[in-house]
Amino acid sequence: MAAVASTSQAKPQSTWALAWRRFRKHKAAMFSLGVVIFLVLMAIFAPWIAPYEPTAQPTGDNLADYYFLGPTREHWLGTDELGRDVLSRIIYGARISLLVGFVAAFAAALLGTTLGVLAGYFSGRPLRFYAGPLARLRDGWRPWPFALWRVVSWVLLYGLLFFVASLVWTLSGDNVRALLGGSLSLNNVLSLLGLLVVWGLLLFAAVWGLFGQARLDLDIAISRFMDFMLTIPELPLLLVLSALLRDPQGAAGRWAQEVFGEAASVFIIITIIVLFGWIGTGRLIRGAVLSLREQEFTTAAQALGAGEARIMFRHLVPNALAPLIVNATLAIGGAILTEAALSFLGFGIQPPVATWGNMLNNAQEYIFTAPWLALAPGFMIFITVLSFNYLGDGLRDALDPRSRL
Amino acid sequence: MFAYTVRRLLQMIPLLFAASIVIFTLLALQPGDPLDELRQQNPRITAEQLEQLRRAYGLDQPIYVRYFKWLGRALQGDFGQSRTYATPAGHFIFGERLPRTLVLSGAALTLALLVAIPVGIFSAVRQYSRADYAITFLSFVGFSMPVFFLGILLLFLFAVWLPEKLPWFPKFPVQSISDYQWSQVVNREIGFFQFIGDWAFKLTLPVLALSTIQMASWTRYMRASLLEVLNQDYIRTARAKGLGERIVLYKHALRNALIPIVTLVGLAIPGVFGGAVITETIFSYPGMGRAIFDSLIDKDYNVAMAALAFLALLTATFNLLADLMYAVVDPRIRYS
Repeated sequence: MAAVASTSQAKPQSTWALAWRRFRKHKAAMFSLGVVIFLVLMAIFAPWIAPYEPTAQPTGDNLADYYFLGPTREHWLGTDELGRDVLSRIIYGARISLLVGFVAAFAAALLGTTLGVLAGYFSGRPLRFYAGPLARLRDGWRPWPFALWRVVSWVLLYGLLFFVASLVWTLSGDNVRALLGGSLSLNNVLSLLGLLVVWGLLLFAAVWGLFGQARLDLDIAISRFMDFMLTIPELPLLLVLSALLRDPQGAAGRWAQEVFGEAASVFIIITIIVLFGWIGTGRLIRGAVLSLREQEFTTAAQALGAGEARIMFRHLVPNALAPLIVNATLAIGGAILTEAALSFLGFGIQPPVATWGNMLNNAQEYIFTAPWLALAPGFMIFITVLSFNYLGDGLRDALDPRSRL
Repeated sequence: MFAYTVRRLLQMIPLLFAASIVIFTLLALQPGDPLDELRQQNPRITAEQLEQLRRAYGLDQPIYVRYFKWLGRALQGDFGQSRTYATPAGHFIFGERLPRTLVLSGAALTLALLVAIPVGIFSAVRQYSRADYAITFLSFVGFSMPVFFLGILLLFLFAVWLPEKLPWFPKFPVQSISDYQWSQVVNREIGFFQFIGDWAFKLTLPVLALSTIQMASWTRYMRASLLEVLNQDYIRTARAKGLGERIVLYKHALRNALIPIVTLVGLAIPGVFGGAVITETIFSYPGMGRAIFDSLIDKDYNVAMAALAFLALLTATFNLLADLMYAVVDPRIRYS
């Protein structure tokens, strides 16, 4: 009996416990985790920690004495061009940076996962995407969202046809009218020919729209869309979008102002970062799902009669979680960097709200007279991004031991 | 392979069409219109004159009509007039700004490659040595370093602080653009080496700032890629045959390890043309990035449109080239 008692059974360990054990061995990642926790606490408790209000300016007679102070006992990191305490601004800036980083990375991961899994799972299996009002549908599977989409798609199709018809008329109308008025020139004749050809094609499309049906491979649609997004130069487009959405006269800007008040510019920055940020995750998940859906456990789930949504989100996505988490962690650092770059260029979060990026933008003017103003925010951005990069590296080693970089 | 290339080229046409529509629409929707500035400069301008100008710029037409008119002219190489610089936008972008940006970003890319590949190889061959740890750490630091911070830091250190402290230290300029023109060399007004030397000296800091991130990340990719190849069976076979370590490394391993690097470099090239807004801003270097940025601020949309459409074309082309290069260097990949 004693022999039996001594054979101790290995304690069962969950995947996460194993991962945590591997993670703890990565010293730099552990240290980075500490830094990140410290930053998060600093951001949460900013009002209690910060020695001054971030926008408080000195009052009194000799104001100039409070501007551009070097590090002193009262102001550990000095004061800026308006006499505001730099340390307090740094502490409050952490709130914006981390908020933007976490929310943008999370939203981008969510969007990328959804589109990626749809693209990967339905690849090579075109879904019915259009069926005209008079089309005869044979097969049975007709969920109600499709019936709704069917009606919407008729409106879209005929709306588009009408738009193209009127566009062609706007472009060629003058010449055609001139031709009918009697002035015979090559340009006018070509305009008439072009008009007739396009209108003929549109008529054909309109008739097809009544009876035809079309299938669409979601993978092709989503992958092409990702290619398209990657073609547009990113930074200029971010600037353009930021200007467009921040415009208080525009519809989007007004809406954001009403809903988010002072936080409107934070919300706008997050939105445009997500708009470009999901593509990396989308590609990653699509690739993973393409291989996972061929494995036995997927076939088993299908044989047991699991629905499409259940297979996608209960069976496929959890198996792609490891690279997803690593990717999202690295994306937090990336989002913080993008926000800082936009704010640095003056297209991000607007003063007087303090962010590390716009502090650096301010400091740039005084680089020769007050260089310490640039050091603090720049160093904070650098340390934060470095920590998230190391954290991602540690998580990759822990969760996904086979993949290296 | 040929059919694949043709198909991809054909696919590029709708892609670029869509991209240019989106860019044009977003620019046309920008808050304020180009006439605002005129109104501010000359408060006495009458509504009638404004209306005339509006018609002259074509702003009275709907966006889609303006787009097709722009497209028709752009396909013939006419990108319209720049309002700020009073030159044709095409000449301004491609004749003036593009060459300057190519010098700066091209130098940065070359420097990054020249450092990253040997350092990456060294780091992989000496895996887990002290030098490897140092290189890994430095590359982490390098690609976590925001370029706007690094630029300001370099400027402060090498243009202000060190020259102040050390009298013998060369004072790097705050303005990175050289006054020397290539035509002066052709006309024998200045020597060739004087020309090169002045440009190199003035470009040192921006090139350093711009190349750091790529240098760091390519070092890491080079290291990882070579390590993966070195674990393959065919490397063991090569060693077992009794081949020297040099031949195994440079002939068998390196050539395969460079494959992913080719793609990375191919995808980085459109960025070379696009310039670097932030670096160009910090070092006052009037290149493409700055041109795009300024044109957005000044609402000089002919310039912005010319530059952005050109960049979209380049990005699509180099995406295709990277895929094709991949097939050329890696015979296992076949496109059909």
